[in-house]
This record gives sequence, C-alpha cells and structure tokens, in this order.
Amino acid sequence: MKTTGIAVIGAGPAGIAAALAAAEAGASITVIDENSAVGGQLRWRIAPLRGLDEALDGLPACRAAETLRERLATAGVSVLAGTVAWGLFEDGSLAVAAPGGGFRLRAEKIVVATGAVDLVLPFSGWTLPGVMTARAAQVMLHLHRVLPGRRVAVIGEGRDAAELVTDLETAGAEVVLRAADPAQVVASGEGRVEQVSVNGEQREANAVVIALGRQPDPELALQAQVDLGYSARLGCHLPLRNELLETSRPGLYVAGEAAGAVDLAESFAEGRLAGLAAAGASPERITTAQEKLARARSPERSADADRLRPWASDRAQTETDASSPWTSWVRAATAEGRDNSLDRVALCRCEQVTIGEVRQAIEEGALTINDIKRRTRAGMGLCQGIFCTRAMALLLHAERGIPLSEIVPMTERPPARPIPLASLVEIEE
Amino acid sequence: MDEARSIGTGDLRVLHHPVLGDLPVSRPVQITVDGQPLLAREGEVIAATLLAHGILVCRAMPRGREPRGVFCALGRCTDCLMTVDDEPNVRACLTPVREGQVIWTQAGLGGWEGPAG
Repeated sequence: MKTTGIAVIGAGPAGIAAALAAAEAGASITVIDENSAVGGQLRWRIAPLRGLDEALDGLPACRAAETLRERLATAGVSVLAGTVAWGLFEDGSLAVAAPGGGFRLRAEKIVVATGAVDLVLPFSGWTLPGVMTARAAQVMLHLHRVLPGRRVAVIGEGRDAAELVTDLETAGAEVVLRAADPAQVVASGEGRVEQVSVNGEQREANAVVIALGRQPDPELALQAQVDLGYSARLGCHLPLRNELLETSRPGLYVAGEAAGAVDLAESFAEGRLAGLAAAGASPERITTAQEKLARARSPERSADADRLRPWASDRAQTETDASSPWTSWVRAATAEGRDNSLDRVALCRCEQVTIGEVRQAIEEGALTINDIKRRTRAGMGLCQGIFCTRAMALLLHAERGIPLSEIVPMTERPPARPIPLASLVEIEE
Repeated sequence: MDEARSIGTGDLRVLHHPVLGDLPVSRPVQITVDGQPLLAREGEVIAATLLAHGILVCRAMPRGREPRGVFCALGRCTDCLMTVDDEPNVRACLTPVREGQVIWTQAGLGGWEGPAG
C-alpha cells in the first residue's frame, strides 16, 4: 500500500487550489485526476475568470489552466493524470486504477474535489445522436475545435445556457431554437437529430445541447457514507461540512462543485480552505481563507450553505419544491393518458429503462431510488446513475408525494467508475 | 493556410476562433472507421474526429439497436462505446487517435470477434 499526507481527488479549480494551499503549508500531496490533463472544467471553458486571484482574473479559463499547471509544477506537486480513484473504504484507504496498474493509497487526509456533471432530464428524442450535454459541447468546441453542429438548439435558461449560447455563436454555430424546459422539446430524425421542436415551433437542426445547470458529484464521499443535507436550491443532497469544509468523517473534506459550489471563484476559494485545513495550517491563514470564501460566495449560495439540514429532519424545506425549475418537467412526465408522450422515453439511458417503466414500478410500490433500481435496473448501468437518479427522485416526489429532501440518494459502492478487471488483479497489498 | 489547417480532417472544424485564435496546423493521422479511411488531427480523441466528419453514431444499443453518439464527452455516460483495434467497449470520447487505428461502430455489448458482436 502506498501512502501520502493528503490525497486530493480531482484536479479542477478546487483540487488545484487545495493542492497548492496544502503544498504552501508543507504537506506531502498526491493529486489524482481521471482526465488526461490537469485543469478540470477550466480546460474546456473560455469565459474570462473573475475573483480567483490577480494573476488569473481576466484570462480565459483554458489559459488559466496552463498557468495553474505551471504553479503546481513550481510547487513540486505531482499529479497522477489519467488515473481513477474508484473506491474509498472503511479503513480510509483509496483504491486507484492507473495506466501503469492498480494500487491502494492510504492518506492521512483526503480532499474530494470531483466537481459536477451536467444536470439532465429526459425529453422526447434525447437519446438520438446529436443530443449532448453543455460540457460535451464545450469539450468539442474548445478542446477539439469541432462544432457540435452548424444549427443547434439549446435547452436551459440559466447561466450555463447563456454561456453555451455565447460559446456556440463565438465559434460560428447558429443557435436556431431555445427552450426553457426539456419537457417542451422534441428532437427527431433518422438515426440522428434532424429536427427540433419546442412547443410545436419546429426548426431543422443537427444538434441539441442540454444546459440546465450542474449536478454535484461527490461520489467518493457518498461511498464513505458521510452525513448529508438537502439543498433546496440544487434539489439534491450534499455532504454536510463544518467551517473547515470537513465532513462527518474526520479527515475527509469536500470542496468545490462536488459540494454545491456555484462558480469558479467559489470553487477555488473552497479548495484553498480545504487544502489549508487538511494540512493543518496556522489559524491566521485559515481565517483569511474563510474570509475570502465568504466574499466569493453568492448570497443564495451562502443562504443555502447555512440551511443544509440532515435529510430526514426538516420537512419545512419541501415548501421550495413547488416552485423549482423542474416543476413543469414533472407535470409533463406524470401526466395521465394521451397527453403523456414521455412514458416511452428512456429515463435510464444505459439500461434503456423508460419513464413509463419507472412510473409503473412506483405505482407497484417502489418508495426509494434503490427500490426503483432493484425493480427496473434503472441506475444500474455504466454511468452509475449520475444521469438518471434526479429524474427518479422527481417521479417519486410527484407520484408518491415524498418530499425531495427525504428521498435518499442511491447507495454508492465501489467502483465509482468502470475499471478494467486487470486493475484489481494488479493491486498489491 | 486554411487548407493546411483543415485539409481532409473534417468540415465541422472551427478554423478561426476569436478567443482561441487560429487552429494550429497539425500532422494528419489516418484512421479507419467502419472500413472508411478518415483523417484525424494528432492528439485528439476518436469522438472529435468522427464529429468533425459529421459522423454521429458510435454504437447501437442492446435493446432495439437504438443508435447512440457522444453525449457527455467526459467518459461518464458510455454512449460512445466503440470497438477499437478489436477491443470492444472503448470510450471514443477519451481515446486518442493513433495512426492506422481500426474502429468499428459497436453493436450491442460488443464482442472480441470483430464488429458483429
């Protein structure tokens, strides 16, 4: 078993900031990232940065990634890229699959900075080739310099959608249609997207981009069964943390989008605080980092961080469910009779389980996400449920009247990613 | 210069970008997809080459042979699984192109005996 002082999982803005801060405080650090290069979302975004630090502000995100890579090298922090931390076990050890073989890693402290994925909700035609997430579109546009299509429809009305529309138009694509709500969208075509309609208004298009916002992905912390709280703002559960961003499991920190951070400056500030705390930095440094984090947080996010509650304790939070952005999706997906064209649409893309099949499972008695999973296989596929459990929770909420705050996330178990069996065989104790 | 940047590597390339600048000239890499030769840019992933050439389908799902293409581009959704150099279930969005690579659209769960699966 290998050992390290602090293991940082994820080398996006939060993970990099954590590693740099911990290195400053003199800790030995191992950074692990599944991507082929360091930088996380900075690599595929081009929006100018604000509020990180003086040297980075104003740079397009992708240029800042290069600067941060240089800072890591200067600080002597080594990063294991193309490497997956797929398990966090009771004894505190991590299981890692690396290109050169698998190994276990024992760290005194762990910072989970695994970010978020795009929030998606099913709509008619959403499995057609040409439909992709906002991040997929940004990866293609900015990392690979390829248009997702010449004529693109964009779903979403928040800041992710606004950024995407700018990105597409800057690169020379035409945004032909926009939709606020996925339930209004129908994508159709022969084996690929050819037409898109929104509320009956139809356009020829060759791509549809889903830009509804983010879904935090703190999977390793969930494997460690840390205490969770419900975020009404995000409609999902998040790890509860103390003022040092440490979870209920001593020595396990979660920072950045994985913990519900909204923007890059906040993720960066959270990473710095978690890194300093994990490294046992001086109280003065920690106080400064906490103040910086407070300035980086939006008012809604600060309120949210203050309001997080253990999942079963606070029914009052369900008041906000009624006005959530997915209300109309839920209404469309649970409509009775002929109105409901969504019943035949896949909810679980991996196992090809439809919304209708999941609703039937709920009708027949399923009361939890785990229960739906056992009855239908939804959530059992290679994506590990990251792209379908939200829709399951919303259907349980609508059909059974269970508050979203009381719908427990699916049980997370290793491996967090599909890994080759060989990487298990190679593990040396 | 445009020709040097784009030659044969796909019609959907972004040659000029106000923030990222001109697409750098790259050494072309030849791959074969479903028997058809395609030119890729060195260092990019298979999914990018396919999309640049307007190819959207990566696999056909086990149920109903429903076509799928790149959805998340970050290795999470596995909609882009293809058979690459006889190895099934390779994520096209993460796997870099290599000279002479032979790629097949994957049928169902794939197999080790060629494209039929």
